[in-house]
Amino acid sequence: MMTPEQAVVVSIFLCVAGAVLTLLVSRNKTAAGWLAFAVTAATAVLIFSAVAQVLTAGPSALPAEFWKLPKFGFALRIHVDGLTAMFLMLAALIAVPAAFYSIAYMRHYEDYGVARYYPNFLLFLAAMYGLLSTTDMMWFFFIFWQLMTLPGYALIRFENKKPENIRAANKFLIMMQIACVATMVGAEILAVTGAQVSGSASLKYDFGTVCANLPALLVAKPVVTALAFTLFLIGFGIKMGMWPFGQVWLPDAHPAAPSPVSAMLSGVMIKTGVYGLMRYFLWLVPISAQADYPLARWGLVVATLGTITLFTGTMQALKQEQTKRLLAFHSIGQIGYILLGTGACMALLPAKGPNAAVLASVAFFGALFHVLNHGIFKGLLFLNAGSMLHATGTQDLNKMGGLIQFMPLTAITAIIASFSIAGVPLFNGFVSKWSIYVAAVQGGGSAAYLPICAVVAILTSALTLASFIKFFGVSFLSRASTLVIEQARKRGRLEVGWMMQLPQVFLCALCVLLGVAPVIAFNMMQAAMNASQQSFGVALAQAAPMMGGPLRGLEAMNSAALFAPVTLAAVLVLMYVAACLVSKLGSAPRRAASPWLCGYVREADCHRYGAHNFYGEIKRYFRWLGGMPASHGASRTHPVSQPNLH
Amino acid sequence: MKTLLSILGGLANVAIVLLVAPFFQGVLRKITALIQSRQGPPIWQPYFDLLKLLGKEDIESGESPLMQRFAVYLSLATVLTVACLVPMGFTAPMNAAGDVILLIYLLTLCGICTLLAGLAAGSTYSLLGASREMMTMIALEPLFAVAIVVGAVHTQSFRLDTVLNGSVYASAAFPWSGVIMFGVMLLSFQAFVQRVPFDISEAETEIMEGPLMEYSGPKLALFKYAQMAKLVIYSALFVTLFVPWGTGLMFPLGWLVFWAKVTGLVLLVTLVAATHARYRIDQAIRYFAALLAVALVALVLASYGY
Repeated sequence: MMTPEQAVVVSIFLCVAGAVLTLLVSRNKTAAGWLAFAVTAATAVLIFSAVAQVLTAGPSALPAEFWKLPKFGFALRIHVDGLTAMFLMLAALIAVPAAFYSIAYMRHYEDYGVARYYPNFLLFLAAMYGLLSTTDMMWFFFIFWQLMTLPGYALIRFENKKPENIRAANKFLIMMQIACVATMVGAEILAVTGAQVSGSASLKYDFGTVCANLPALLVAKPVVTALAFTLFLIGFGIKMGMWPFGQVWLPDAHPAAPSPVSAMLSGVMIKTGVYGLMRYFLWLVPISAQADYPLARWGLVVATLGTITLFTGTMQALKQEQTKRLLAFHSIGQIGYILLGTGACMALLPAKGPNAAVLASVAFFGALFHVLNHGIFKGLLFLNAGSMLHATGTQDLNKMGGLIQFMPLTAITAIIASFSIAGVPLFNGFVSKWSIYVAAVQGGGSAAYLPICAVVAILTSALTLASFIKFFGVSFLSRASTLVIEQARKRGRLEVGWMMQLPQVFLCALCVLLGVAPVIAFNMMQAAMNASQQSFGVALAQAAPMMGGPLRGLEAMNSAALFAPVTLAAVLVLMYVAACLVSKLGSAPRRAASPWLCGYVREADCHRYGAHNFYGEIKRYFRWLGGMPASHGASRTHPVSQPNLH
Repeated sequence: MKTLLSILGGLANVAIVLLVAPFFQGVLRKITALIQSRQGPPIWQPYFDLLKLLGKEDIESGESPLMQRFAVYLSLATVLTVACLVPMGFTAPMNAAGDVILLIYLLTLCGICTLLAGLAAGSTYSLLGASREMMTMIALEPLFAVAIVVGAVHTQSFRLDTVLNGSVYASAAFPWSGVIMFGVMLLSFQAFVQRVPFDISEAETEIMEGPLMEYSGPKLALFKYAQMAKLVIYSALFVTLFVPWGTGLMFPLGWLVFWAKVTGLVLLVTLVAATHARYRIDQAIRYFAALLAVALVALVLASYGY
């Protein structure tokens, strides 16, 4: 039996070996694809067994040391505790469907080989496993960060014949290097200026050493320490797409990459920033130094930034007319929810109120659950966008319409993903948002700004819904556009093959499962907190905020807040059946006909109400917020005299 | 025993809503006619309308009829589920199914169904109506959320029976936040129940019922039924949140007082609807934005205990 740490190291080496092998067989696209999938699946098995081990039997007492060069303070130390386990699980969970989807998806690139795709994909995955489990804040952080950034750069500029993709990749590269420098300078401040109280001097960048040095440092140099934490916030903020940094690189980078990579970028890569934020702010400072560590003030900063991020990201997403660009802006918006949850947790942890500790952990669980949920539904949405691109050859929502009759299965998975991200009850997004709202509203007693953040978040939830009503409505519903009809005539069948459907169905099933039985995730997160009891993790583990069972649903704070999805589903199904029966009462005859167009016979493409036309007034009032699509006028130059054949 | 009671209570609520919703619609139409110096239809007309529509031909003009059916059935199903969660003279029956945050999101789901129906029909007018409906929802959802959150902040709870019981006035000092929210919700109530001057998404005279334009027969009947039920449910919500007085009386009395208040609210809606002209969507959004600003002030007051 391998220890979790060994499993992670073996996974990393498997990925690197897989990268070399796929490079060798890259002539054959299908073989390379299956090989990459096999490697990903093998690492997923290792990671899942490691996660199961950590969650059931607890973590190893000490980080495992694999390779050491004491002269440079250089050691590969890996530690898998509960928090790391949750993020590792997310990485493996999204990587497997993404890799499987790639096999069929990458075949449709005629001009590009896969030699630059699969090796980079595997290195990218290896780097994420490493970054999420290393305890070294300097050298191995740097190595894994670069190992993630450089293949990421190569993947974003995969379609390198389009100049805008190269520009997007360059932006990504520059921003990630800035983030890397910021985080490393922060680590250097904490390590160098710290008095060498305990631990060997050779490992001065290790979490353990920094943690031991911090109490003295917080007393001696509060300003310098605050500067270090500011640098961490900036560095990880850039990575996760926090306002104002996210808008610089994220909306360009995600659409440029091939769709499975977009799913990985948005589902997993930006979450490494969230991991860093949680790890450095909540697990680094020992609880004994609480008095000198202004956690509540950091909570104010993070929650405020989160609120700004979720509102600006989503409002800009509302203006988009390109599928993947729209989804990319929503990644910024959803990261805002995660930041708000984390910020609320940080603000409430040191508070004195009666419920403060419980609310803090409700907020943290909400944030962590949203990390998982966002990975699942956003991964699914990017795969949906990939299937739409595969079928229609465009990302432009203005040119799509009526896809549901040509690709029904993709439509069903897309509507479930849209419902999940918009927070419709019985899907997974609702539960995590619900936890964040509960904590933020009731946390008003300790931090009066939190209820306002919560209301902005609820408003933004409606904006998210609006954006996805548009996304789903104009592409799958509404009437078939000229482009879709032409494509269908040319290719006979638009729906993607089973190899692209299966990953979508898998992720879609996860959305429904976690929506109807969220208690699974909450039990897992409780186990994860029990398995990461350092510093503030102790308080989060002891609060044990959520009670409940699969049938009873979730209850927090003596059932002052509760949600019983199974009961709700039962009532809803009952009422649905009742509504069906009522409509059959009159045994009315049914007939299909074409819609009434006020006397005009045909609807031409130029009369369509496209994505561009939606929400004109709101878009106008929030023009100052930026993010207007650049191809604004160009996308409307349809040939006027092309009647739709209806 | 408790479970059985809550199931029976839920079913009773559903039955009441289904029975009285067309009656209130009839009252509304009759009084509107009287205000406009017309004779108007008999008060029972909406019942006959619904029955007649159930037997009429069902013409499906969209390209995805399955989605159209799904949206229609889900629309009524969601409204009836909400009816199980809202107190109708007694405490909320399905207390254990969720809290007020769920209520906010279920009410949104009612709107989503109309939107999906409009989008699935695919006529340009339907899409136009759907876009307007969604813009209204963006403005209205946070208004309702603030009212609920003010109550939740005062009572430190999200339970339906605690919050939907005049909780907005439950602060220690004079309940400034509750009074302000009462005004805000009263001023936006027409929009929640989709009546003039805020029936912008339907607007019979300009975009021909928007999302519902392509619907006929039983489907139209279900939509109309859901819309009538929404009037009752939102009135009940308003009464339980903002006008709680007298509901705690002995059984028949308290119950009668509750329904008298709901009827009063419906009459007010009718009066406003019959005497106002429809706003344009941009005017409406500006109006809601101003109300939202006031509501946020109320929320700040609430979180400081006023």
